[in-house]
Amino acid sequence: MSAPADAARLPAAAAPRRWWPAARRGERDPGAPSWLTLMAFLAPALLLYAGLTAYPVVRTFADSLYDLENMDAPRFVGLAHFVAIWSDETFLRAIRNTLVWSFVAPFLDVATGLLLALCLYAGVPFARFLRIAWFTPVLLSYVVVSILWLWIYNYDWGALNLALRALGLDGWARAWLGESSTALAALMVTHAWKWAGFNMVVCLAALHALPSEVLEAAELDHCGWAAKLRHIIIPMMRPTLLNLYILAFIGKMKVFDLVWIMTQGGPMWSTETVSTYVYKRAFAWNTFDLGYPSAIAVVWFIIVLAAAAVLHLAFRQREKLEY
Amino acid sequence: MREQGRGDRLTALLRRGPLLAVLVLYTLYTTLPFLWVGAMSLRTTAEISADHYGLPSPAHWGKFRAAWVDSNFAGYFWNSTVVVVSAVAIVTVLGAMAAHALARYRFPGNRLIYFVLFSSIIFPPQIVLLSLFQILVNYDLYNTRTGLVLVYVSLQLPLTVFILEAFFARIPQDLFEAARIDGYTDFQIFLRIVVPVGMPAIVTTVILNFVHLWNEYLFAVVLVSDEDLRTLPVGIQRFMGDYFQDIGMIATGVMIAVIPVIVVYAFFSEKLIQGMTAGAVK
Repeated sequence: MSAPADAARLPAAAAPRRWWPAARRGERDPGAPSWLTLMAFLAPALLLYAGLTAYPVVRTFADSLYDLENMDAPRFVGLAHFVAIWSDETFLRAIRNTLVWSFVAPFLDVATGLLLALCLYAGVPFARFLRIAWFTPVLLSYVVVSILWLWIYNYDWGALNLALRALGLDGWARAWLGESSTALAALMVTHAWKWAGFNMVVCLAALHALPSEVLEAAELDHCGWAAKLRHIIIPMMRPTLLNLYILAFIGKMKVFDLVWIMTQGGPMWSTETVSTYVYKRAFAWNTFDLGYPSAIAVVWFIIVLAAAAVLHLAFRQREKLEY
Repeated sequence: MREQGRGDRLTALLRRGPLLAVLVLYTLYTTLPFLWVGAMSLRTTAEISADHYGLPSPAHWGKFRAAWVDSNFAGYFWNSTVVVVSAVAIVTVLGAMAAHALARYRFPGNRLIYFVLFSSIIFPPQIVLLSLFQILVNYDLYNTRTGLVLVYVSLQLPLTVFILEAFFARIPQDLFEAARIDGYTDFQIFLRIVVPVGMPAIVTTVILNFVHLWNEYLFAVVLVSDEDLRTLPVGIQRFMGDYFQDIGMIATGVMIAVIPVIVVYAFFSEKLIQGMTAGAVK
């Protein structure tokens, strides 16, 4: 009975270090299972996946070729929706906003996370408590976070404007979500507020996993903090940081709740994202045509998968060059 | 000597000054919004309008009762609990079984199934959202808890299998061979070895799925329209839409949604942090 106890000592969440599939592992049961056993284990999950994920994806592709204003009598329109999409100003705006958000904001998230992790790593009082406190926003729903920040950004009594006025910067106070020049940035900050703790925890784990000899050697060479960070810590943490960037990127490509509750894509489309636009066209504008939003979903699906693949390949390429 | 010691300490403090400042500021940045809403949840809207940053004196605890009973937060809470608990239970069982098959058995298509499931983690929700709406309408599952539960299971299944497969694949092969010699059947191996040994990973996925689904908004708002079936996030958001000016009551609703999470977090903080970052931390 010692064997199970041994195995239980495996690292708790022994998840792989990358988010893409690991290569084949050698260790597999050589005894080929009976087909029946295999199906008993796999079939429930596969059936559910087929019915509620694979089939809907295929159906969205099919829907994108139809006009579905009357769901009982779909009208085939071929690629008309796809042609219409490219002259749809709002859609192009939504794509631009989402891509800006997805590529730029992860830097903010990961940098904040790394900075916070370094603070804790430097050995400060109450590090355990701080780590727990900083992580709290990750557990909150977007609905709660959105409401909090709607109030923080309120023009008359929001905490942000109040702080600016207290500092004598009255000119800076503004309706942060009401002006198209600041609305998207304001949403990015809110999103970063929610996720910084996540990046901090992951970075901290990676910092603690760094070989201490290297850091000590740097210490002996009178290597300052800045130099140590630039020449040792960041290069050694590169896989973790890239991984976090990709995770943040994917999360932002999907973002919906925050935008929908805080600005509904306004003002003047300045925070419109692909998700909110699809939702508007499908359910909020009373156009009752699910075909056109399906076409948008298909285009977006392809863009997201392509972007994820490109990032993955680009980062892997760089890692190969590095090492 | 004493002078010098004090001087050293002062230098050290000064050197650490910026660091401590960052710590204090960031801690305020994450926690003050909570304390603010917490205070507002105990004050009436009239009091809040007079001063948005006042302390709750006297504290109107009755507002929680009012929100719970009169504004139907009890109903939202119940709906969230039923839907999320069922979905998490189902996805854990289905996910663990599938992960075991993928981690342990060699068969044609194993890696293909794994790759397809894995890719689904990054699918944007819109690619399934619109057709799920139609499918649920066709099968009379639109506007039902059952429909929402099934969709939730399908949403969390890929990530669950992904995390569990990675853990199960590291269970030493010797254990299985020993069990087989002892005459265990495939199902006994799964129940008596994989599940107990894999329990840390299973708990991790339960936490992750629970938090994700408890906070889920998009699918809940599209697939359920009946006021009596709304989950907590949709309930709060609709309440805010209907009573935009009633800040005090919205704050109370927000606290009702936040308190369970905070209470659980207070007791199991390490487990929750570990669960939420599973897949990202090595």
